[in-house]
Amino acid sequence: MYIGIDVGGTYTDGVLIDDSKVIRSVKIETEDNLSISIQQVLAKLLLNRGNKNISRVVLSTTLITNMLAGVKKPPVGMLLLPGPGINPQSQDFCSDYILLKGAVDYRGRVIEEIDFGEVDSAVRHFLDKGITSLVVACKFSQRNPSLENRIEHYIKERYPQVDVAPSNRTSGLLNWIRRANGTAFTLFVKNDYNQFVQRFEETITEYDIGCPVYILKADGATLPLEIARQYPLESIFSGPAASTFGALATTQQDITGIMLDIGGTTTDIGLILNGIPLMAERGIYVNGYLVPVRALALSSLALGGDSAITHKNGQLVIAQRKGKGCYLGGNSITFTDILVYLEKSKLSSHPKIELALQEISKNIGKTAENIAEEILNQFIARIDEKIEEMFLRWEEEPAYRIFQIISGQETRPQTIICLGGPAQSIGSILAQKRSWEVIVPQHAEIANAIGAALAKTTLKMDVLIDTEQGRYSTNLPGLSGTLSARLLSLDEAKTFALEIFKGKCAEWKLVTAGKELEDIEIVYEEGFNIVRNWQTKGKIFQIGLQIKPGLVNLLNEGTDAIE
Amino acid sequence: MQLNKTGLIFFPAFDWSISPTHPEREERLLYTRDQIFEEGIPDSSYIREYKPRLAAKEDIRRVHFCVPDVEDQTTEAHLISAGSALKLGDALMKNEIANGFVMARPPGHHAMRVVHGNRGFCNTNNEAILVEYLRRKYGLKRIAIVDTDVHHGDGTQDIFYHDPDVLCISLHQDGRTIFPGTGFVHETGGPGAYLKNINIPLPPGTGDEGFLRVWREIIKPVLNKFDPQLIINSAGQDNHFTDPLASMRVSAQAYGKLTEELQPDIAVLEGGYAIETALPYVNLAILLALAKQDYSKVIEPQFTPAAVKQDEGITLYIDDLIRYWQDALSEDVPSKEDLFGEGKVYQRKKSIYYDTDGIRENQQETVQYCPNCPGLYQVSSTARDQVGQGNSIWGLSIPLFACDKCLEKGYKMWEQAIKEGKEQKTFAYYYLQDKKNDNYLKE
Repeated sequence: MYIGIDVGGTYTDGVLIDDSKVIRSVKIETEDNLSISIQQVLAKLLLNRGNKNISRVVLSTTLITNMLAGVKKPPVGMLLLPGPGINPQSQDFCSDYILLKGAVDYRGRVIEEIDFGEVDSAVRHFLDKGITSLVVACKFSQRNPSLENRIEHYIKERYPQVDVAPSNRTSGLLNWIRRANGTAFTLFVKNDYNQFVQRFEETITEYDIGCPVYILKADGATLPLEIARQYPLESIFSGPAASTFGALATTQQDITGIMLDIGGTTTDIGLILNGIPLMAERGIYVNGYLVPVRALALSSLALGGDSAITHKNGQLVIAQRKGKGCYLGGNSITFTDILVYLEKSKLSSHPKIELALQEISKNIGKTAENIAEEILNQFIARIDEKIEEMFLRWEEEPAYRIFQIISGQETRPQTIICLGGPAQSIGSILAQKRSWEVIVPQHAEIANAIGAALAKTTLKMDVLIDTEQGRYSTNLPGLSGTLSARLLSLDEAKTFALEIFKGKCAEWKLVTAGKELEDIEIVYEEGFNIVRNWQTKGKIFQIGLQIKPGLVNLLNEGTDAIE
Repeated sequence: MQLNKTGLIFFPAFDWSISPTHPEREERLLYTRDQIFEEGIPDSSYIREYKPRLAAKEDIRRVHFCVPDVEDQTTEAHLISAGSALKLGDALMKNEIANGFVMARPPGHHAMRVVHGNRGFCNTNNEAILVEYLRRKYGLKRIAIVDTDVHHGDGTQDIFYHDPDVLCISLHQDGRTIFPGTGFVHETGGPGAYLKNINIPLPPGTGDEGFLRVWREIIKPVLNKFDPQLIINSAGQDNHFTDPLASMRVSAQAYGKLTEELQPDIAVLEGGYAIETALPYVNLAILLALAKQDYSKVIEPQFTPAAVKQDEGITLYIDDLIRYWQDALSEDVPSKEDLFGEGKVYQRKKSIYYDTDGIRENQQETVQYCPNCPGLYQVSSTARDQVGQGNSIWGLSIPLFACDKCLEKGYKMWEQAIKEGKEQKTFAYYYLQDKKNDNYLKE
């Protein structure tokens, strides 16, 4: 049996899945203390049933999103080693920084040495300001982490009070700004996150659940709990990933469609192409800064069922949530109330809706019906615009190889998968407008928890092997090193890459021993001749490997009634 | 909307090469990729990255007589490289970007109007394809191409040699010392386009100082006078002090400075084969300069002031060259009628060598004088490779701004030519390039 828990901003959902069937689901309001919400959900899921046969628990949480809410500038200092290139002063680093000597080039060669005197004064500068968390970020540190690591050791030895982190251990992505920012945010949330993981582990122990426990990542992959401790940032925005994989689990494994998830306060729009969600490979924004977290490519709107309807200068406006909707007896007229009023929702009406609409009507001189129609049109227009943006993003994804351009333009999906309360009616209207097919999966309201329970553990690794320099590097945190053997052909390089990948998979408990080759696929493979003075000096290989993302299991149609 | 953005197409063609160890191979933009990605360039608020697209065959026929046809002279990589230029051209004309950099390979500036094979690593001319596309689609007229590759942009010169509305300026290492062996000051354009082709052959060893001086003292005034609607930069990077195929002493800083002052609307990557020591830095400097960003820290690890310093003798030589051009450009230009001379027909014989493919081409060009338009252009060309194989072709080009009389005359000539051709079989293929109506025929 699998357990999936998704802690969202408003609700915490949990499901228990057995033999491809949802056998129990729970939805409660999220408490301020997320650990309590998790405990409550677990208690309800396991009530009178016990922990027997639980083989997998996956948790998706908004914890990191909450912790970073409003943190424009984490109280972290950055020691930056830019080397030649863009003036770092024109780039977006999220914290204060000091520039240091020391540089590595694209081949991983050290082209300038560190000046440790500079390191000392930089550390003292931050200590004087009361900053004790420091990031060390050097351009091309994934190609050669030695400068970052030497500075880390130097600081650790001399300044034990300082918490220092080199950027190569956050990510190996080719983008030093993202690595630096990602490391700063990681340092900022690390301790609180670890406490949270600690409590979660205790809860799991309390229920005597002995199976592997995972944290859901933003790309829908999972990390074992003990590994997740080191990479707190990876769990940011896992909610939409949970929903998207839930959409997959509750439809078909090879579906192509637009995922529309309308929640209380936000709407997420994603694309699923032949069963694979579109990824933002290079990373995502956190508080306006780019970080190296692989995530689903999503367009989000601050609009949802709880969005309040108001007017400004005689114009109707869909604004932020102000409180409980009229349909629930509350005092805020919300978008859901509009749907109820227009009989586009299955929810039952409430006299307060009519009253609230009359109130607006008096103020702006339009009939209640016109107001409702106009709001609905506004809402749909904004979603429509975002869907278009999503399509363009997909179609305009940069491509660097001929085959990617030749294989060319696929047709746009014409299916919309609706999740969340108001999605069904909105989806139907959109679909009618564009003659699309609408799918409202069974369990649409708890698809997120289902997605968490069933998202496959996946991993993607880009390896670059430079036989002349005798080094390899990857996009994964801390995974780079020197070559012990001479790799002469692409086949040898592939074997080597596969070994590293398998090692990481074992460490992260991603594949079943003995079944590696069934799960691992090579996404791309390239060999470059390094030619100098008309002689081949070596080779550079670029190889991409992954465990195909997807689902552990598909939900079986005709599920039993939910208890 | 986003008027301040610089458009970028980065197309390294990691799956295309002339041959595995050829300078124009997969590895060429690998380290440039590393540098621009590691710097976070695609994330920058001032950059908008575009996906390349394929150019259409019509886009190629608008410029070239490909022998026997477009598909025989182009691979998918060529169509994508040209298509990348067109994509940024569209983005520019739609005001999505302020300017753009087509960082794509393969290059194109040695590809001439008639294409029998690959010369100087080029088959089709990306800049020329862009110029004709923009003029056709957006009604532009006056366009300037400034070629800053170390090799003479002979293909671009050939294509626009008789076009008074396209100003071609090439600065390069003197043709007596480097491929393609042309690009001298007396190649000034045909009689209908006199002084619309400016060559600035620089002595080997020219450094940052000379490079920037000829820009400021020759090119800039010519450009200002021409007042182009659009400036295209053939941004070859082999004037760099570390380039293995050339002997110049120019740094990334000087390339940045030139770009900053030239302000091209579209820069198109050409040559540059110091793939580690130059390209990552020069490409970055050009891109930052286009985006009006600080490029002062883009300093090559090998850079020293001595590496880019030119000898005294070179400075004196360049002084003379600048004086020569300043004098030549201040003289009165004779009338077009006078330049065509008594016979009112311009004829030129040319022998062209295709270094990559080992082809020798002999051609004869004829341009007819017309007081109202650039006049009809004819070419007959015979190519032979090392084993004596090759084609003889005849082509007729009706200019974009042809007058109605020339247009009508052109079609009559075409019909007569193919009729004769059927009887006498003088040429294997006959081509008509009607740029005015965007109509391209082959017999």
